[in-house]
Amino acid sequence: MNGIFSKGPAGMAGPAWHARRIAPIAVLAVLVSLAFWGSDYLLSIMILIMCYMAIGQMWNLLGGYAGLVSLGQQSFIGLGGYTLAKITQVYHLPVILAFVLAAVISVLFALLISIPVFKMKGVYFTIGTWIVAECLALFFSTWSFSNYAQGYTITATYAFSTAQIYLVALAVGVGALIVVMAVLRSRLGLALMAMRDNAAASEVRGVEQYRTKLKCFLISAAVTGIAGAALYLNQAFIQPANAFGISWTVSMVFIAIIGGMGTVEGPIIGAVIFVLLRQALYNFPGISMMLLGLIAIAIIMIAPRGIMGIIRRKTQFEIFPVRRHPSA
Amino acid sequence: MNTILEVRDLGISFGSNQVLKSVSFDLYENEILGVIGPNGAGKTVMLNILSGILKPGKGSVSFMGRDILPMSIVERTRLGFGRTFQIPRSFENMTAYENGLIGSVYGTGATERAASLKVPAILEMIGLSDRKGVFAGKLGLIDRKRLEIGVALASNPKLLLLDEVAGGLTESEVSDILGIVRGIKEAGVSVIWIEHVLQTMLEGTDRVMLLAEGRDVVCGPPEAVMSSKEVETAYLGA
Repeated sequence: MNGIFSKGPAGMAGPAWHARRIAPIAVLAVLVSLAFWGSDYLLSIMILIMCYMAIGQMWNLLGGYAGLVSLGQQSFIGLGGYTLAKITQVYHLPVILAFVLAAVISVLFALLISIPVFKMKGVYFTIGTWIVAECLALFFSTWSFSNYAQGYTITATYAFSTAQIYLVALAVGVGALIVVMAVLRSRLGLALMAMRDNAAASEVRGVEQYRTKLKCFLISAAVTGIAGAALYLNQAFIQPANAFGISWTVSMVFIAIIGGMGTVEGPIIGAVIFVLLRQALYNFPGISMMLLGLIAIAIIMIAPRGIMGIIRRKTQFEIFPVRRHPSA
Repeated sequence: MNTILEVRDLGISFGSNQVLKSVSFDLYENEILGVIGPNGAGKTVMLNILSGILKPGKGSVSFMGRDILPMSIVERTRLGFGRTFQIPRSFENMTAYENGLIGSVYGTGATERAASLKVPAILEMIGLSDRKGVFAGKLGLIDRKRLEIGVALASNPKLLLLDEVAGGLTESEVSDILGIVRGIKEAGVSVIWIEHVLQTMLEGTDRVMLLAEGRDVVCGPPEAVMSSKEVETAYLGA
């Protein structure tokens, strides 16, 4: 993790600097140890938090930075899930291969649909991505290769303990975070932050909009595809309507907006709130989604820039620093 | 004197509204050309055409002998067009230093490491050294105008398009801006400078062009143009 978490302001030393370097490792150690002492219930919640954090991060990369408001990220969740089902259930190949292929297939599919959807601007892009996902849902429910609308039971799941699935989810979550940090600290990240603040001005300063957006779209597809495989490894059952359903992306939007768009910390906070809230609302079947929506509206009215927005207004606080500092 | 920019018969309409009717002028190397004119004369529209934000309906623009009209905004930036906006368009949630990095990395294709060596000097030149770690959104107007110039300079421009960088500033702040622009000229950059503040046009430019009703009416030494009948007519009416 050197280079990703350890870069800090020049001349910054002493306890604060060490704390900043050690804290992520300590947190990671606690999270890993959870697999050995956490109850199955706790672990199953943590699995969801990790996976939703990963897909929330990826939506945030698009919506929060690149100005690409997609409602079609469920395409990659579904592709990831179906890759897992097909590889383990039909071909009886190792799960790890499914995760690799989930990323590859998602990227290839993203590349393909980028040709039409990138011609659409703003809200048309949003609708375009959604339509692509709906088409996939229809297509998969009439395709013999994907076992029509019946889908698959993913028995590979039962070969794993909850703790093992949790470790997979943890790897996906932490991996997504590392990807986001690496992107934001790279040259591409500089462009993304500029686009987040003012896309038109960034173009005048020389930021190629199309290329930057496409890179983001592909990265986000890969990780969302992998997270899709992890989510379905946990869920053990896949059907087109659910796999390519818009509710996946609705959750991502909720997570990014509530936590704070255009920040790294936002989707982490958002995912924790989302998963716990949804868990609590299971006690109100039928109206749970409505309640979730009302809560979202309330939070947006109180904190239009999300929870990180409130924190940032008071301080320049960041757990995962992506700031650049002059070396001299 | 070598001509760096050649603009001929530039025109643009929005619907039935012919904003630029016909504008022609030359800009020489290392020259500061001031552009004045009443509101709605088409000054900012002209800059937007030059930087590639708007496509003209007619006319030609060549920059160092190359036809730039088919080029995208990004291509023009890389070719050497720097630009500031009337209302500063800084990246508000990024520090002044990071704003400079954007200009350098994406304007010149430099690596971030190379840019990190160059940007501090630019911040020094525009007088923002002590505020390099401050978010652009938290800077005051004068500092945001300075930063706007700095970010444009970071892209190593050969031609700098300034859109009312002195507007809304106090007298002493205007003097600061004048000093900065002089420094830019000394560094060998050519400048087109739109401004309403008279002092800047008289003291800061080599020539002044009057734009009125979508045409270049008169162009020449600042004092001569400022005291010309055409300027009086354009601003006060016949």
